[in-house]
Amino acid sequence: MNDEVIGVENLVKYFDGRCVLDGIHLSIPKGCIYGLLGRNGAGKTTMIRILLGLEPATRGQTSLLGVESTNLPTKVRGRIGTVAEGHNLIQNYRVGRLIKLCKDLSLQWNDEFFSHLIETFRLPTDRRVRELSVGMRAQLNLALAMATDPELLILDDPTLGLDTVARRQFLELAIEIIQKQGRTILFSSHILSDVERIADRVGILAAGKLVVDCPLEQLKQRVKKLRVIFAGSAPTNLYLTEIINQQIDGREMALTVANWNEQKRALLETFKPSSCIDVPMSLEDIFIECTRPIGASVNGG
Amino acid sequence: MFTLIKREIQDHLLYLIGSVVLAAILIIVLISFVFQEGTRTDWDDLIAPVIPIAIIIMLGFCAMGVSQMYTDRNRRVSAFVSTLPVTRTQILFARIATGILTILILLVPLVVTITILIRWFESPIPMYAGIVFDISSTTFLMIFASYCIGLLTGWNPSKVIPTFGALALTCILVPLVIIKGFGWEIAMLLVAFIAALLIRTWQTFTSTPL
Repeated sequence: MNDEVIGVENLVKYFDGRCVLDGIHLSIPKGCIYGLLGRNGAGKTTMIRILLGLEPATRGQTSLLGVESTNLPTKVRGRIGTVAEGHNLIQNYRVGRLIKLCKDLSLQWNDEFFSHLIETFRLPTDRRVRELSVGMRAQLNLALAMATDPELLILDDPTLGLDTVARRQFLELAIEIIQKQGRTILFSSHILSDVERIADRVGILAAGKLVVDCPLEQLKQRVKKLRVIFAGSAPTNLYLTEIINQQIDGREMALTVANWNEQKRALLETFKPSSCIDVPMSLEDIFIECTRPIGASVNGG
Repeated sequence: MFTLIKREIQDHLLYLIGSVVLAAILIIVLISFVFQEGTRTDWDDLIAPVIPIAIIIMLGFCAMGVSQMYTDRNRRVSAFVSTLPVTRTQILFARIATGILTILILLVPLVVTITILIRWFESPIPMYAGIVFDISSTTFLMIFASYCIGLLTGWNPSKVIPTFGALALTCILVPLVIIKGFGWEIAMLLVAFIAALLIRTWQTFTSTPL
């Protein structure tokens, strides 16, 4: 049985001759919480928009719940909850009217859960959407997306504009949903701690390529940062593949390598370093290293 | 689909109210004219004023089409609605259904009134039996074509193209009817024109990024 909920095959997107996405391959299985990371303009939103059929791809194929994104029927759309970047709600509608519209158009609506969310977020239903603060709009968008009990939740920077308390509430809610219902979540974020907290698999987009696509734990194991000290001057070429970053300062070398394994360690040992220390890396460190102009790919698992 | 049509009606209620008001005004004017003239009413005299009134109505409906598409694009209504279990084709279909409904709200009471009045106050000179049908069907097609022009040109981020493009295309339609007159030939031409406009609108609306 094919468990793939999100599929991306050789996705290419050009904007005015500029390549934004360059041959992306991605497969997200059922029940996975996938955190998509990338710097501003890396192509996260474009990729999500293509997945949702809001933007045509230049080349390649994308699918959601086994159906091609460009041709999503209403039944499939009804199984997907979306929170778009910037929370594109209908600004001149009153909150109550917007809720009614979403409820009437949705294939299923969990009234109890939605009321719980509205109460938790303390959202006023009599005000116009444009009169709400950015944070309140984000909360409303989240509540609307979650009220349909979606099988797949696509969140494009959902915590953008939320204060610390609301962000924590959202993350806890997301965890609650995934644990209770085993749903799939794809979310992009700039806040790495959020991704670290809830994602079980991460992807990092840099220069239009998916340079990282693996489980979070594996990523931390596979990307290694080493501080290597040599007896003499540090060699300029270590003949190692998949070097993400390399900085030399006299006898000392700071080295970040993708897909670190015993073979690479053995190759490094041939240069007879006087010491080789593992430098612990947080997701933020890995993200910064991977999004530098030249980066190796970390894929697997 | 009903929810989408209801949403369109609520968002463009002004045009529907405008149609009702205009229909009421035209009916009052028509009745008072006929009652003044009595059995001496020459129905042919009423055909001439139809053209300037039709032009105003056509421009009004063209504006409705532009307004529906332009506000959608600017407020990103479809961008939000299409994340719900709705396809873009359904959004467009609901929009067109609302346009047709608004046109019918204006035309149906008028046609019914004219038909009744013609029967009550028969002209001394015998009239062509299908004149009401020919005029009303051609008028409907002209107005609908103008509305479709509005839909097509309104889906544009610039303000110049929707305004002047729609105005120019609408103005082309009127001389066409004046030259050809009312009847099946012009109806066929208008149907072909409407079909082309709708196909292009659908193609543009469903393929552009939201």
